[in-house]
Order: sequence, then C-alpha cells, then structure tokens
Amino acid sequence: MSNLSNSLKASKRSIEQSRLSTLGRAFVAGGYTMYPVLLILGIIGAIVAPRFATTVNFINILEQVSVLGLTTIGLTFVVLIGRLDLSLEGIVGFAPMLAAVTLVPAAAGGIGIELPAWTGLFVALGTAGLIGFFNGFMVVRVGLNPFISTLGLLVLLRGGVLIISNGRSIYSPGKALTYLGSEKLLGLPVSVLLFVLIAVVVGLLFKHHRYGRALYAIGGNEEAARAAGINVDRAIWSAFVIAALLAGLAGVFLTGRLDSAVTTQGQGIIFSAFAAAVIGGVSLGGGRGTIVGVVSGVLLIGIINNLLTLAQVPSFYVQASTGAVIVIAAVLTTLASNRSSGVRTRT
Amino acid sequence: MGPKIMDSTQSIVEMRSVRKTFGSTRALQGVDFTVKRGEVHALVGRNGAGKSTLVSTLSGLTPADAGTITIADTTIEANGKNYAASIRDVIAHVQQTPQLFNLLTVAENLFLESPSVRGRFGVVSSRAMLQRTNELLGKWNMEIRPNSLAGELGAGARQLLEIMKALKRGVPVMILDEPTAALSNAERRLLFEQVKTLKAAGVSFVYISHHLDEIFEVADTVTIMRDGRVVKTHEPVDALDVETIADLMMGEKTVRSVRVDYMDNAASVLLEAKGIRIDQFSDEDIDFHVRAGEIVALAGPVGGGKEALAMILAGQQKPARGTISSPGSSSPRIGLVPTDRHASGYVGILGVRENVAIGGLDILSGPLGLIKTAKEQVHVGGLTRQTNVIASSLEQAVSQLSGGNQQKVVFARALCRDPQVLVALSPTRGVDVGAKEQLYALLRDLASKGLGVVVVSDEEDEIEQLANRVVIVLGGQIRDELVGKYTMNDLVLRMEGVI
Repeated sequence: MSNLSNSLKASKRSIEQSRLSTLGRAFVAGGYTMYPVLLILGIIGAIVAPRFATTVNFINILEQVSVLGLTTIGLTFVVLIGRLDLSLEGIVGFAPMLAAVTLVPAAAGGIGIELPAWTGLFVALGTAGLIGFFNGFMVVRVGLNPFISTLGLLVLLRGGVLIISNGRSIYSPGKALTYLGSEKLLGLPVSVLLFVLIAVVVGLLFKHHRYGRALYAIGGNEEAARAAGINVDRAIWSAFVIAALLAGLAGVFLTGRLDSAVTTQGQGIIFSAFAAAVIGGVSLGGGRGTIVGVVSGVLLIGIINNLLTLAQVPSFYVQASTGAVIVIAAVLTTLASNRSSGVRTRT
Repeated sequence: MGPKIMDSTQSIVEMRSVRKTFGSTRALQGVDFTVKRGEVHALVGRNGAGKSTLVSTLSGLTPADAGTITIADTTIEANGKNYAASIRDVIAHVQQTPQLFNLLTVAENLFLESPSVRGRFGVVSSRAMLQRTNELLGKWNMEIRPNSLAGELGAGARQLLEIMKALKRGVPVMILDEPTAALSNAERRLLFEQVKTLKAAGVSFVYISHHLDEIFEVADTVTIMRDGRVVKTHEPVDALDVETIADLMMGEKTVRSVRVDYMDNAASVLLEAKGIRIDQFSDEDIDFHVRAGEIVALAGPVGGGKEALAMILAGQQKPARGTISSPGSSSPRIGLVPTDRHASGYVGILGVRENVAIGGLDILSGPLGLIKTAKEQVHVGGLTRQTNVIASSLEQAVSQLSGGNQQKVVFARALCRDPQVLVALSPTRGVDVGAKEQLYALLRDLASKGLGVVVVSDEEDEIEQLANRVVIVLGGQIRDELVGKYTMNDLVLRMEGVI
C-alpha cells in the first residue's frame, strides 16, 4: 500500500520535474535568461543610486541604448545565418557623415554639393543599404569569408569618414538628419519609440515570418535549407542589407542626439553589439537567438553603464567593469543554454 | 564446427551489466556482451536499439554510467567518467561517418601521430610516409594517390581510409560501425578480405550493419539488441537465417514487401529532361521522363552520375546543357530527399515542426509572408502522421531523434509543398528494417496517389522492392533501362556495369 503511494508520489514528482524542465527550456530558448539578472541589477541600482529608479533615468537609458540596440538587431540578422559583419561599426559613422557633408555648405565643412535638406535621411540610409549590398555581394557572389571582407570595409569606412569630412566633425547638419535622434513624441524620444517598434517588428519577423524561419534554417544547416528549396543566397544577401540599414539608422540616431556628425562616431560599438548579442543568447555559430534575448543583452550593457556613472565610479573603471560584466553574463548565458539544450542520443 | 572454434574459450571483451542513460532515454539497460578472440561478432538491431551506444561505451567514446568492461588485460568499473585513454591501445572504433582531415593528404591522414615515420626531434620523414602509404594501399589494392587530399576522395575511399587508419594501429579489438554504408560492391569486397585476413591473425571485430546478408558473409556470431537490451547473444551465425534475425530485431514477424507492378504509358509526364549533359565532360545527351504514378530508380556504379542526374532533376544542380521541363505546369513542384541526411537532410537544432515547415514556407504563409500558425500545425501534423514520425512532440529537436525518425522528418519536409514529383536519394540509408518498410510503403502510396517518384539507390534489394522501371546511369549517360518484370540477376549485373 505504502509502496504504491510512494511510487505514485515518485511518478508525480517526475512529471512535475519534467514540466519544470520543459518550462526552463522554453525560458532559455525564448531568450529570457537575462531578465532575472536585469531585475536584480535594477533592485541593486535603486538601492545604491537613488536617481536610478526614476522615469527620467529609464528613458535616458533607453535613449542611450537605442543606437547599440539597432546595431545589435542588425548584427543578429547576419549572425543568425552563421556569418558576421564588422563593417556595421563603420556604417554607424560613415552613413550619417556622408549625408552631413552633402547637406551643409562648404564653409561649414561640407563638400559643396548642398543637397536639399529633406534628402538627409535618404542619403544616410541609401549609403548604408549600398554598403550592405556590397557586403552581400562579396560573401555570396565572390565567396569571401565575411570576417575578412567586412573587416576590410570597416577600416575603409573609417578612413572614408576622415576623407569626406576632412577630419572635422560637422555641427548641426540639419533637421532631416537630426530629427529622429533629438525630437520627442508623446513625451518619449522618437529614437526610443522607433527602437521599440523595430524590435517588435523584427521579433515577429524572426518568429512568424517565412523569412525568419529561413534565417534559422540556414544558420542551423545551410545545405538542408538549400535542399528544402529555400533561396539561401538571396536570404544571406538580404540579411547583410538589412543589417547595414539598421546600422545606418543607428548612426542617424547618434548624429541626432549629438546634433553633429562626429568623426569618431560609433567607434567600438561593434564589440558591444557582439557582447549584447551573445549575452542575449545568440549563438555565434548561427541558428540560435531571439530578439527578446538581444534586447536583454542591450539593456544589460546600458544599465551597467548607467549605474556605474550614477554610482560615480571613476570613468577609467567604467570600461573595465563593463568588460568584466560582459564575460560573466556570457558565461551565465552559455551555461544556461548548455544545460537546457537537452540530450544528444545516438543510434 | 570447423577450425574457427579452436580457441573460442578465450574472450577478449567482457561487458557486464553496462548501463547508459541520456536524459530520460535509457539507452542501455544492463547489457552483457562478450567477444571471443579472433571472431567477427555482428551486432544487429533496429535504429535506436542501442547498438551504437553499446560500442561507444566499449571504446570509451561515450562513457558508460555503470557496469564492468574488460578488454584484454584492462578492466574498467564504469561510473560515467571518461575512460577512453586507458583503453586506447586495445581497441579501435571506426564510426559511421569518417573522421578524416579533409585538407591533409591520404598519407598524412594515415600516419598522423604515428611514431614510425618520425625521425630525430620529431621531424616527420615524408619519404618514409609516402613509401609506407604506398605499401598499405598496395596491400588493399586501392588505386588512389598517397598525396591526394582526403577531402577529394569519394565516400567509399574515405570510409576505407578510415578503416585502414584504425587497423594500422594493431589493436586486438576493432569496432566497425556500419562500415559499408558508403561503399560500392567492389570496395566492400576489399574490406571483407582484409577483415578475414586480420581475423586469421587473431584480431576480433565487433561489426554493426543493417545489411543482414553481409552478416552471413563475414560474421561468426551474432548478438541481437532491442530497446537497450540484448535479446539474443553470441549465437553462431550458421544457426540463424535472415527471417529469424529480423523477427528478433523487431520483436514481431516481419514480411519483406514486394513492389507493385505498375505501368501506364498513357499517364501524363510530370517531369521531362531533354538533352541533359551532366558536366562538360559528358558527350552524350540524357533524355528522361517521369510519369504520374510510377516509381523509377536511377541505378549504377558509384560515381556514374546517377546522383548528379537526380540533383539536376530536383533543380538543385545546373546541368552543363539541356532543359528540365514539366508539360503539365509551368513550375513543377519537386520534393527532394537528399542523399546524406546528416549533412543536408535536417536542421538538428530545430524542432520537427520547423524542419518540416521549411519545405513549404510559401504555402504555409499568408500574403505578407507571415506563417499561419494553425495551418502549419495541422499541415505538419498530417505529414508527420503520414510518414510515421515518432517524437515526444513536434517541438523536439531533430538531432535527438533516432536515425529512422530523422529520415522520416526529411521525407515529411520533402512532401511539405505537396510535390508532383519526389526525388529521393538513398532513401533508407542507415535506417532499420522496420522504418525501411514504412518508407517503402509510403513511396508506393505516394505513387498510387499519382506522384512521380524517382529513387536513387545503391541497394539492389531496395530497387527490386520499389521500382517498376530502372534506369542505369554510367559514365554520365543512360546505358540501359529495365522495365516491368525484371529479375534480380538482370539488375545486379547492370548495376555493376557488367552488361
């Protein structure tokens, strides 16, 4: 009798356990791993820095991370298919700079074309799109390894910024270029609204659109995707274009926030973007990752930076601490995803 | 019973109560397994029966959770910890897929880590290496150059190279896991000769194969596994026949199905190839067509061009010349089951649902390209039922399924877009008898519903069981065609390129 009830209890426990582990797996696969950490970080922040837990500060954080956020979402497109794109950093600097020098008069540092003011955004995004198209061409058609082709382009764009701007930053390049990064709508910065909107749209795209499904399939097994009839080359090519467009938009946000196109704009952002993606559970090998996770990675980096500043940590320490946190967070994410990714059976 | 029993009292491998669990799957449930010195011991069972897991625990590739393993003079009390290093010198394990370095040459692959070609200060003598490789290749009668890259070799040669590499180590026990899967008949004979020679020299073999006829050709004794247990152990091969083994593997009676003879020359042509040249070296046009309701097999020696032709038909490869057309519709829907499911069949990290759905993203999505979730669920559910996929849920990762179920997922994906023609390359490679029959029944069923089916296979039995029409492809050309009632003999001679 007791034997029976014991075994019943045991089986109930094992069902509960398996339900829990299913839940845990969904939690990790959905990209929610970092959210408890963010919550804890928020609580600590509220305690150590009274100014942390205020609406103004939260909006400030969101505004700060929107640039990194867009770049990281762009990067995720390329990483999902098992590639990478270092040139995104170059685009963040180059695209708005090219728009700026074509807008302002030569006296203000322009190259003397003085295009009509409304073209600003189009020039910036058009440039970004063309660079992405070139990246896709190099990878798909020429067959270059994206590491080296986009590294080359990154260096080239960095130099390009200096050439077109003559090494000088351009101030007040005009409303068309700065509106998105400086104005508010319904009390919220336009850049924040746009970042949230793009995150939601891309999140849905990854999850429910055939294009997103194709990206995951290509990242998981390119040959299988090809055999299934997916146009792999087109998907890869377009991923590079979308990534570049998002990086271009990120650059426009940054220019708007600073009300100037700065020659050093975007420097180092690609490292933060990779860190945010990996923290968010995006696999650098491709095929794994969600926008929910990417946003958590971006927020983590943003909140840490904000907290360290608020806590008046000397600025020299901020960078090193951020690096340390990135390593710890990456370890956490990797452990969690290894734990939950389940068994590998063999026959 | 002859001289091979001579010193059979002496066992070289003893496994006692070996257990292994993967997550919630109990892969080995207390298995006892003994191999005698100088015997070829066949290990058979369905996919997922635990054969590969058993030999992996034997070689230390995956450590057993519990049990005792004795090989020669080494005894291991398994506790889940890695013990591969301590038995490295007494056992070699040749896995299903070759573990070669594609960018190294044949000679380098064979003599990597081998002290015999090293001179002073560990400098490798390439002359000694080439010479020894030539000797070895000569002994095996293999006509490949020692300095060609391993990645350039055909699948059969690579498999043989892997086996040579293991045999060269001079261990007393060898595990061959599905060694003939990628081999042509000629290559298979080479392998069997070597196995027999080494057996005479006292080497023991554990031999896993899905081809029961091979077992009668090389093995002395048989152990049969089912669901992680041994159901029959150390049975002399002479005391068994194919039917008994199949029944024990399945746990029930199996009947080998026969083909449905079907021939309707008035049926509409679904796919037509005209003037095809596979590559620029071909000097004769290929004309080929598939009619509704027929199963056509493309057969012939390895490298004869049958795979290439199938990939051209499926639209995955561009021919050097010629056109593929479909008289009925402007864009024929063609489903493809690729030849190697691990390399190009499924996406291991994705679930069953996502794997099947990528075969038909366009028909499962609305005008904006958004996937219709409910439709997807129903459609994929229907397909997995039709192909008999067994998984814990549609979300289970395909890498966790057994080989047979993985292959069924690949079939479901190929059928996802409701194709008019199905092109299946090696449709049942590495699949057990039960799943094989299920897939054959599926193919026949599809043909009876009016699909055109093209099967590419190296297995005579498979072709004989399925195809109403066999097209022999050799040297990039169609050499011959068998239609209707052909005999096994006709088929074998043509597949070997004899006639």
